Amino acid sequence: MPATIIHRFILCVGFLSLSHAGFSAAQHRSYLRLNELDFTHLPLDIFIQALISLFVIMYGVLQVAGDFKEIKASAELESRSWETFRNVPSFYTYSHRGKAFSKMYKPPPTKESLEED
Amino acid sequence: MFNLKDDIESLRLWRENIDRKSREIIKLWQSTIEDNLENLGNEKFVVLEQACVAALDTYELNVAKRCIQLLNSAFPNSIRVRTLEAMWFEVDEKYEEAMHILENIIKQDSTNSAARKRKIAILKAQGKSIEAIKELTDYLKIYMADIEAWQELSELYLNENEFNKAAFCVEELIIHNPHNHLLHQRYADIKYSQGGQENIEIAKNYYCQALKLNPNNIRALYGVYLTGTHTSITKNAQKKKDSSKLVEWSVKEIEKRYSKVSSPLSDLEERLAALEV
Repeated sequence: MPATIIHRFILCVGFLSLSHAGFSAAQHRSYLRLNELDFTHLPLDIFIQALISLFVIMYGVLQVAGDFKEIKASAELESRSWETFRNVPSFYTYSHRGKAFSKMYKPPPTKESLEED
Repeated sequence: MFNLKDDIESLRLWRENIDRKSREIIKLWQSTIEDNLENLGNEKFVVLEQACVAALDTYELNVAKRCIQLLNSAFPNSIRVRTLEAMWFEVDEKYEEAMHILENIIKQDSTNSAARKRKIAILKAQGKSIEAIKELTDYLKIYMADIEAWQELSELYLNENEFNKAAFCVEELIIHNPHNHLLHQRYADIKYSQGGQENIEIAKNYYCQALKLNPNNIRALYGVYLTGTHTSITKNAQKKKDSSKLVEWSVKEIEKRYSKVSSPLSDLEERLAALEV
């Protein structure tokens, strides 16, 4: 599934929300320092925001990053046949009958046409 | 514009899968790519090379000429473009000129494997398969890790009915790519064609391995069936039992595959009816 604009938007919102939670936490620390209070734990709302934004980011990344690859080593080969696999481009030879289908191809002179000349 | 994107995508897919879709490539070239060369970005020259080879393959010499000219003006004195020029001569069966270009390339850059491979391809095109085999074995002494060359050598040996040597080449390929079910299947094919009780036993094992790697490999299933019926003709009671079990299983599996696709019997009757003129 290709990444849509909505998924990118979700990812952006997740990052913004996470950084907002980070700034809030820093602000909380400075507030504690100014009031000379001891740090015990983060306020619950910041904690929850950070957690939710983490999940939103995880979802967004999974959608944007593209399809997963199969874990089996042979998975990519399963749809291929021997006919495509044996095709070796560096050893192509061009003297085959496919030529005759081309408009540019002039067949070699036949015996009759030589005798006419 | 949307069309162009699709076409570029399919060209890329064919390039990566190494499909020989020369006629399709030329069709795309004529319908969209030719007029949009400047919009291809980084891929422009790769696509040009791909189109050039496809054009040579289908004898569209105008297209090939244009591609080579464009590439030549972008990369003057490039060896890769000169290899394409050599192919141009090959198409017209002017093998002497092609050989001459390739010899010059090898003189200039003795590590150029593409030119050496083309030389072997020319020998093949001329029908000198013994010489081609000799050149290719010499080539493989230098470039032992070249998978394509091993594959080509196995094909050439098969044409000469040298099953043992062809099997050796496929063994080499299996070492390079042990997860590829097609190679296991190929090895089994060769061993089965070679015949003899021992070889058919080996073939059976390799067909089973191919099936293990890809349960959808119908050719391997048929292989298991055929080799199984061969090995079930033996005096060893245990072996006989195992083989007939395997045969039974493979027949069942094959029937299962066909029942999924369409009802085989009705189709079969239709075909038989068509035969009775």
